[in-house]
Amino acid sequence: MLTRVRACPSDRLGGMSTAASAVPLRIDGLVKDYGSVHAVRGIDVEVRPGEVFGFVGPNGAGKSTTIRCILDLLRPTAGNVEVFGLDPRHDGVAIRERVAYVPGELRLPERLSARRFLESIGRLRGGFDRKRLESLAERFQLDLGRSVRQLSSGNRRKVAILSAFLTDVDLLILDEPTGGLDPLMQHEFLALLRERRAAGATVFLSSHILSEVQRVADRLAVLRAGVIVAQGTVSEVRGRARQRVEVWFEGDAPASLAALPGIERPTVDGRRFAATLSGPVQPLLDALAGRAVATMLIEDPDLEDAFLDLYGDGS
Amino acid sequence: MIGRGGELLSVPMRALRRSGTVWALSMAALIALTVAFWPAFRTEADLSRIVEALPKEIIDAFGLADFGSPAGFLRGNLYAVMVPLLLGVAAVILTNGQTAGEEDAGRVELYLAQPVSRQAVFIGRVGASLLWLVIIAVVMLIAQLASDAAFNLTIGTDRLVATTALCLLLAAWYAGLTALVAGWTARPGLAMGIGIALVVAGYVIMALFPISTVLAPWRHLSPWDWALGGDPLVHPADAWRYLVLAIPALGMAAAGTFAFGRRDVQAA
Repeated sequence: MLTRVRACPSDRLGGMSTAASAVPLRIDGLVKDYGSVHAVRGIDVEVRPGEVFGFVGPNGAGKSTTIRCILDLLRPTAGNVEVFGLDPRHDGVAIRERVAYVPGELRLPERLSARRFLESIGRLRGGFDRKRLESLAERFQLDLGRSVRQLSSGNRRKVAILSAFLTDVDLLILDEPTGGLDPLMQHEFLALLRERRAAGATVFLSSHILSEVQRVADRLAVLRAGVIVAQGTVSEVRGRARQRVEVWFEGDAPASLAALPGIERPTVDGRRFAATLSGPVQPLLDALAGRAVATMLIEDPDLEDAFLDLYGDGS
Repeated sequence: MIGRGGELLSVPMRALRRSGTVWALSMAALIALTVAFWPAFRTEADLSRIVEALPKEIIDAFGLADFGSPAGFLRGNLYAVMVPLLLGVAAVILTNGQTAGEEDAGRVELYLAQPVSRQAVFIGRVGASLLWLVIIAVVMLIAQLASDAAFNLTIGTDRLVATTALCLLLAAWYAGLTALVAGWTARPGLAMGIGIALVVAGYVIMALFPISTVLAPWRHLSPWDWALGGDPLVHPADAWRYLVLAIPALGMAAAGTFAFGRRDVQAA
């Protein structure tokens, strides 16, 4: 049972407080229904201070719904969300003082220039450093003088990213932040993310670009149809996926290998045996002992393999 | 430095700059063009006689009483129907656009993700709509006074100020109603539909119900009747006429703000 921690007003105004030292994000049994549609069906997540937490899943898995509950844009049907020990429903302003957000579905005021929009966000955040704005714009090659309606989707995405990095916050909540960015800018974004993390920020990164999550995340949760199907470090989640095995023999490949424990989807093609392997590799190695093996390959899965495996299990 | 509250007002004020300016100039042009006919109308006695020959119910319904006088001319041509109708429609459009319309388009979300309360964001948007209505009303009044001077239409400034203020408060009542629906539902079509329908219904109830002896007592249900029933171009309006418009307008806007703070925000 989760104990709700409510900060007193003096805590919110003070520097290091109960709330300040609390877990950046804790989600406990979150449920969100839209009528008969169950968008999020009871998820539990705890994000530790200073980590990059990946939140992955396909479209419609419930990632954005979860994020919108964290930001108090949606009200949960059941369960609790706490950000730095505070309840978004009652302490939304205090929470958002410490949180910056890049939305997945980006809609910016069309008639404003990028500069005017970002200055507005900066003022709503209680002030910002103009030099920092210029520096970020230069880094992301964004022309601040252009109106939003003149910007490409990639450049609009840059505007949203700049809005989140305009001030220093303790928690960055990023929903598909690099959608529409070219690879160079994606690289720049990940570099910026690492800088913020090195400075002590915590990052909650929702994405379906798995290579991106694999590169920066410490831990991750995989969401499918509103429930978490895997959670742990990147290597732990990758470890749940099957390894790819290929063995070339001096003579014909033995078909009996297909019957080994953990071997799936075997193919025998002349001297070549290929399959996927789940579980320990030792039975395969034992079976190969004494056979004339020319060469062999056991390939570790990447996050994408793990992702596809996790989704394959449920489909 | 204008602070967070100022920024929440400044953003929608800027967003409404173009449409607000068009509304203000259009209303000013309507008033100036109408008053420009006064010199010709004043010397054309036949027109007055034709109007006076109409049934009393029709004269009352369209505000044509004493049509040959400056007050009657302005009432019949502008302040009985056109000005309150257009100002009411402007109130619905501007308020709906900045609340339900922007939310439905997903353009409020990034503001709500900043360290400001939902209520403050909503109040800023409704407040900007009301401020633009005030600007439109002031421009209308200036156009009226300037046109009166240019075309020798003599009427007390206090009567024009009172009539414009009542039309403005009537529009504010519809802005408050629109804010209530928008705060409750985030459906711009519904907020617009209800707002415009009640603007028209308000006029119909005030103007046409008196023609029927059965419906006549119900005319007092219309906010149009509260605003204009005392003929403010001729007689000073009682204080309750201002209050009965202003207080519900603020009350409905407050209820809309309350509702907006308690529901899900529409996703893009």
